[in-house]
Formats: sequence, C-alpha cells, structure tokens
Amino acid sequence: MTIPLLEVSGLEVVYNHAVVAVQGVSLRVHEGRLVVLLGTNGAGKTTTLRAISGFLGSDNAEITQGTVLWDGQRVGGLQPYEVAGQGITLVPEREKIFETLTVEENLATAVPARRARGESRRESLDQVFRHFPVLFERRRQTAGYLSGGERQMLALGQALLCRPRLLLVDELSLGLAPLIAGNLLGILERLRAELGLTILLVEQNVAAALKIADYGYVMEHGRIVYEDTAPRLLGHADIQEFYLGVGREGRAKSYRDVKQYRRKRRWHG
Amino acid sequence: MRSRHALSSAGFARAIESGGRYRKGGGAPLRAMTGSPYLKTTYPSDAALLGTPVRRFWLAVFGLAALGFPLVGTPVLMDLLCRTAVAVVGAHALNLVTGYAGQVSLGHAGLMAAGAFTAGILSEELGAPFWLALPAAVLVGALFGVVVGIPSLRLRGLYLALSTLALHFVILYLASEYQSGRGFATGLLVPRPKVGPWTLAGATAWYYALGGVATLTTLFCLNLARTRPGRAWMAIRDRDVAAASMGVNVAAWKVLAFVVSSALTAFGGGLWAYYLGFVSVEAFSFFLTVEYIAMVVIGGLGSVLGAILGATFVTVLPYAVDAIVNLVPVPDRVHTHLFAVKFAAFGLLMAVFLILEPRGLVSVWSRVRTYFDLWPFRYHPLKG
Amino acid sequence: MQLLANTLALASIYILLAVGYVVVYRASRVLNLAHGELMMLAGYAFFGLVSATPGHPLWAVPAALVVSFLAGVGVYATLVRPMAGHPLFSAVLVTVSLGILLRGLVLLGWTADILYPLAVTGYKNVPWPLPGGAVLTTIDLLSILMAVTVLLALWGFFARSRLGIQMRAAAENPLLAAQRGVNIHLVFSLSWGISTFVAGVAAVLYASKVRLDPEIGVIGLRAFPVALVGGLDSLAGVAPAGLAIALLENLAIRYVSPLLSDVVPFLALLVMLFVRPWGLFGTKEEIERV
Repeated sequence: MTIPLLEVSGLEVVYNHAVVAVQGVSLRVHEGRLVVLLGTNGAGKTTTLRAISGFLGSDNAEITQGTVLWDGQRVGGLQPYEVAGQGITLVPEREKIFETLTVEENLATAVPARRARGESRRESLDQVFRHFPVLFERRRQTAGYLSGGERQMLALGQALLCRPRLLLVDELSLGLAPLIAGNLLGILERLRAELGLTILLVEQNVAAALKIADYGYVMEHGRIVYEDTAPRLLGHADIQEFYLGVGREGRAKSYRDVKQYRRKRRWHG
Repeated sequence: MRSRHALSSAGFARAIESGGRYRKGGGAPLRAMTGSPYLKTTYPSDAALLGTPVRRFWLAVFGLAALGFPLVGTPVLMDLLCRTAVAVVGAHALNLVTGYAGQVSLGHAGLMAAGAFTAGILSEELGAPFWLALPAAVLVGALFGVVVGIPSLRLRGLYLALSTLALHFVILYLASEYQSGRGFATGLLVPRPKVGPWTLAGATAWYYALGGVATLTTLFCLNLARTRPGRAWMAIRDRDVAAASMGVNVAAWKVLAFVVSSALTAFGGGLWAYYLGFVSVEAFSFFLTVEYIAMVVIGGLGSVLGAILGATFVTVLPYAVDAIVNLVPVPDRVHTHLFAVKFAAFGLLMAVFLILEPRGLVSVWSRVRTYFDLWPFRYHPLKG
Repeated sequence: MQLLANTLALASIYILLAVGYVVVYRASRVLNLAHGELMMLAGYAFFGLVSATPGHPLWAVPAALVVSFLAGVGVYATLVRPMAGHPLFSAVLVTVSLGILLRGLVLLGWTADILYPLAVTGYKNVPWPLPGGAVLTTIDLLSILMAVTVLLALWGFFARSRLGIQMRAAAENPLLAAQRGVNIHLVFSLSWGISTFVAGVAAVLYASKVRLDPEIGVIGLRAFPVALVGGLDSLAGVAPAGLAIALLENLAIRYVSPLLSDVVPFLALLVMLFVRPWGLFGTKEEIERV
C-alpha cells in the first residue's frame, strides 16, 4: 500500500477553547484520487478542511489533538501561505475570490507552489481560460459582479494557478443550479485526469459527488462514521436512505441503530 | 418574555457563560454530562440577575464592604473611588452604544463636555440648582444623541465613528468659544449641589452619592441589556440586515442607542462638573474619549461587568503608576516627567490588552468560570 | 497669488501625510491613527541624526527616512500582525494606543521643548520669488515636488505591478490571499514601511520649515480628513482633497479666524460624510466594510 499523500489521524478541533467540533477524525487521500467527504450541515466537514489548510486561526479554533501528515511531513498548525507553498490549496465555502479586484487581477494574485511543474505563467493562464472560457470573456470585470457559477469557476481557476498537488474544495455546488453544479463537478473530474491532481471534495450533493469520486467518508457530529469506495457507498442502503432520499417501508431508521457505523465513544453520560 | 439568546449570534458564548447548557422543562441526564449545577428551567430564573446562591452571597459581601468602606478609607482612596464611580457611569454609556449596539462612537469626550458645560453654564449664568441643571444636561445630551444618531442611519462602522469624532470637535469648538468669549479663560466654577438645607460636600457624602448613582446606573444598564432594547441592539450589532428582516426597527433602535448613551454620557459629564466643582474645555480632549474607549474595550465590549472592570482599571492606573514609581527605584527623569510616564504606560497597557486579551477582562473571568463549570471535563462534549 | 502658493505648500504636506493613511488602509484595512505620532517620531529621529552628524547634515535625511521605513515595519510586526484575526475596531485602537505610547516616550526623552532641526544643519530656508508677487521657500518647493513624485510612484505601483495587485488582494481578504501563496506578512510590512517612509518625508520637510515639538502629530491628525475626503482607499483622491482642504483652510485664516482653520478639515469631513461618505474617488463598497 503506497503512502497516502494526505493522512489525517485522530484530528480534534476545538472552537473558543470550549467547544469540540471534530473528534477522532482519520482519513487518507492517495495521490491522484478524488475523495469525497459527505455529511449534513454541522458535521464538521468544513472544519476538517480548514484544519488541513491552516485556516483555523481566524476562526478562533485550534487543533488540540491528532496530526495532519502531508507526504509524510506534519503540516497541522502551519500558516495558510506555508500550507499553500507545500502544494495544498483550499477553495473555501465562503469568500472564495477577491471581490474588489478584476478577474484578471484575481488570477494574478495566485502564487505557484514551491514544487510546481516548469510551466510558464502564460501557459497556466491559457489553460485556465481554456477550461473556463467565460472567465476570459469577463476578464476585466470586477469579480464582485460575477454570478455564483462564474465565481466558483474563478475560484477554481485561481486555485489551479497555484499549481497544487492537493486541491481541497469546500461545497462546490453550494448555491448553484444543479446544471451548473454538475458541469463544475465534471470539470473537476477532467482536471483530475488531465493534471493528475489529487482532490478532497466536501459535498452535500451526494449523488453527483459519488459519481465522480473514488472513495468517500461520511461524517456525523464531528466524527467519521463510515467510509468505503464510492460505488459501494452509492449502493449502500443507509446512505441511500439518509442522504439520497430513497425511501424505506415502515418507520424511519436512526443511524444509532445501525451496527455498521463505527463510533468512537469515550466518556459519555 | 423571550429567551435572551434568541437573537444574538453571541448567544452561544453566553450559553457557555451561563454555566452549561440548559433545557426548558428539566432533564436529568444533562446534569451528569456537564457537571454544572446551574441549570435553569424557567424563564424568570434564566433572566435573573442573582439567580444562584453563590452570586447572592458575593454580592452581599461586596455590598457590605462598599457600604462600610468610608470607615477605613483615606481621603485619597475615597477620591479615587468617586472618580471611578463617575468613570463607571461614562463607561456604561459608551458600552451601551458601542458594546451593545455596535455603533462606534468617538464623540464621548465632546458629549461629556456638553453635559458638564450645560450644568456649569446653567448654574453660573442662571444660578440654576443642581436638580434643574443636571436634568438639563441630560436633555442636552439626548439632543446631541439625536444629532449623532441621524448619520448612523446612513453610515456604518468607521464612517459613523468619524462623524461622531467630527461632532466632538464641533462641541469643543463651541465650548471654547463660549469659554473665551465670556471671559472664563481658566474655566467655570460650579457650586456644590444643594437641596434645601443639605449641601453635598465632603469625601464621605460624595462617596455614597456617587456610589449610589453608579449602582443605579449599573442596574439601569443591566435591565436595558437583558430586555428588549438590549436584544434589539445586539441583533443590530451582529447583523443589522438580518435584524431588520426579523422585524427589528433598526433605524429607531440605532437612534435610541445614541440618545440613551449620549444622555447618560452628559449625565456623567454633569456629575463630573459637580464633583470637581470646575469645568474647562481642556479637560475634554480626544484623549478622554480614548480613555473611555479603553475602559470599555479593556473591560470587555458588550458587557456591563466589563464596563465596571474597565473603568476601575483605567482610573486606578495612574495611581498604580504613582505607587510603583515610589516603591521601585527609577531614574530621576522618570520622577520629573511622571505625566509622560503615565501617558506612555497607559498606551502600552492598552496595546497589550488589545493584543493579548481582545475580549477584555471579562473574557478572562469567563474562562475561569468555564473551567470550573466544566471541570473535570475540559470541553463541552459532542452530542450523539 | 500668495494664497495659491500657500495652498500648494500646505496641500503638499497634507498630501504626503494622507498618502500614508491611504496606503495602510488599502493594504491592511486598518486606520492608522498613530500616523501623526509616527511622523513626530520621524521628526525627532531626523533631529537626533542631524545633531549627531554635525559635519554632514544632509546624510541625516536618507538616514531618517530609513529609520521611518523600519519603524513602519516594526509597528506591523509587533502590533498589527498579532491583531490579524481580530476585529478592525481593535486594530485601530491598537494604533491609537501606539500613538499615546509614542507621545509619552518622546515627552520623556526630549521633553516638550521646541526644537529646530534646520538651524542645527546650518542651512537656511530661502524664499524664492514667483510670478505674481508670490513667494515660496525652498522647502515649500521641495514639498510640492515630493508630493507629486510620491503620488505618481505609488499609483504606478498599485495599479500595474504584480506585487501591488497582491497587496490589494491581501487587503481585501488576507486569509484567502495567504492561501493563494501570497506572503501576507511581507506584503503588509512593506505597505506599513512605505506609509511611514512617506510620513518621514513629510516630517523632515515640516520640521525643517516650521518646528519640531511633540505636538506636530496634530498635522497628521488633520491630514486624516484629507485622506477620507479623497476616498480612504484612493490614491487618486488624495491630491484634489488635499488641495481643496488646504485652500479652505487658507481662506478661513485670511477671512474668518485662525481658530476656525484648525476645525476646517473636520468640517469638510462632516460635509463629506453626509454628502458622499466614500469620498471623492473612493470605492462605494468601502462603506459596507468594518
């Protein structure tokens, strides 16, 4: 088994010195894979991504336990630009672009990671415009006036210009029409194929995400409760019931009744 | 009465502060989980100020100590406490508009000057007694509050703060024109407050008077904070668009915040004028505003206790510097330039607090409390 | 004509100081209310250096500017950087406390005596006759020249260069900029350094022309409305705002009273806040920030 590119072990994140948001989270992302992190709101998915990419400081949160290993080295607790320099780039859920700058200027702010390929800036920029032609059309427009889908494209384009090895995407389809979201997810898959990117995707649109993913983790209440390959997840009866809305006769089942869900309980009243 | 946590996004932090989570209607297992005895199961008990025996006990102790203090206090200490009391009133006023309503106001010194000068002018020019002059000062403050409140409807944050600053300069300009024009180059004298045959004079009398006023002001602000005005202001502070969409009349409440705050500030200014017996425009520089902002921030924005702690801290600081300089050997230069040292010490401490403890002394206190509330656990557990 | 000459001279000092506010605001979204005191500090550094090098006074000028630049970087590193995640209000208050601290330290070190750095250098500030019977001194002309140079240089930097664009990005969303690889600490230190550097230029000019005492920071505070009237994030607005306010001040001195001229910048500020809060050339979106 090859060493995973990203390995998170036993991560615990605490907000405001008082509230645990994520506990005992362990996941592995191998190079070139597209892994998806599923779960409802408040499950701790965004917190996990932000912990990996060094964003926690401004949220008044900190990693209190566990490690984040990137290519064998610890990156938990690094500054965001140091993490970006390592080759991990996050496309956040909110505030993903610079609204007062133009599209061109937005793309100009991206600084390629240290161990980037020897492509020239011009070539990378052309590549981004090729994937997202609408950005080229609107290149002189102030980014704040772009539509939701265009913003997401700009955010992705900007992230690509950082030449990441690992791309973390938080809620790609949030607030987007299903058609556009599906389009973007397709582009994501193409990028993975063309550029050999490794992607960790947080998504609420379970069906669309599982179609393009290789592996998936399910989070609930700050813990990982299930993990499996994507096709098996799609076929899993409980996933279908809780996330895909496929009905079941009789009373609704609570996940607490399901034995397959492994939960790490410690002290609990 | 609606729960005070309904509107504020800081309600979560307040839930922690109030000592563990609570459920209406009682629930036994929760007690074991959090280990906290401070469960509240009815609305009145939730909003109560002295809801727990511990609080009642400590308040009684503090009250007795405060009442008995003049028996042991030196005049210097009594004077210090009187100054602290006036500072507390001013700090509460600023806390209402900046801490609760989130509208930054930099015109504090100007408003205090307005109150002080109104009291001074009325007693000097018209011979008005204090029970007329002081309410007049409050009224003048309220009027200025309207003047300052109107820009708040259009402006936010920094720009609003600047309009209050401009108002400060305008008021000071008017005051200095009055002072030089009427020949009070060194300042106005203000006579002692009199009600019939009783004159308010002497350290002890002023101590009780000002202490009582400060206590009443604290109660007033506590009540404002935990009822509808407080909730409306906190909602506006956190997200005024969301507040408006929930039916909070943002414009009215914003102006009201300024009016109440300015009235209270002018009241504080009037008190100050009567206590010192003297009013002059030099005492109301922008530095005074900075001092009050420091009080509110060092104490903890948006907290009544914070205003008290901060006011005490900032008022006591120069005295503490005096004490340290007298105890510790320092170069002569420090003694001759003591004012500069106090000035620099204030700046340094303010910066240190802002960097290390931006949520103020109150947050230190609430961390201590949370530690003991949650002990032996370190954090609130995850549910499920 | 003299009125115009005086206006240009005063405006150039205002412009140099207002630029400092704008650069720091554009870069770190912080209102540096210690700018006046930093200018004062630069003035005292200039005096100290001039006194220490009696034979070569002119070297004190670049030396003082270097000290100013480093002071800005130092302020960022010790005070502004730790405030990174904190609300803007707190960061602004930190600058206020810095101003107080600096004022106290200067009073402690040099007392409130008035000093004259130019006299120490041995140079004299000669008046030059201009067409129309007006007169401007060497320093006035230098001020005007410096103001124009600084404005052009900075405008080019922010609009065209990649570093300038990254600085604007870091200003808007430092966390996102950091994630995109921008070394925000470098960028912010640089902007603070530039701001105090320009303040140092203003300090050297003002202290040489007028005097040096702990109160000269007040000029810095008066320049703040200039920055605002022009638009707090707009370098283009600094020049027209500076000229307008300088003109109004000189008119007030001539026709009303010198007392009023002190208040003129703040009155202009009040008017601007009611009529057009984002200033002459500021971005309207700025209103929603903070």
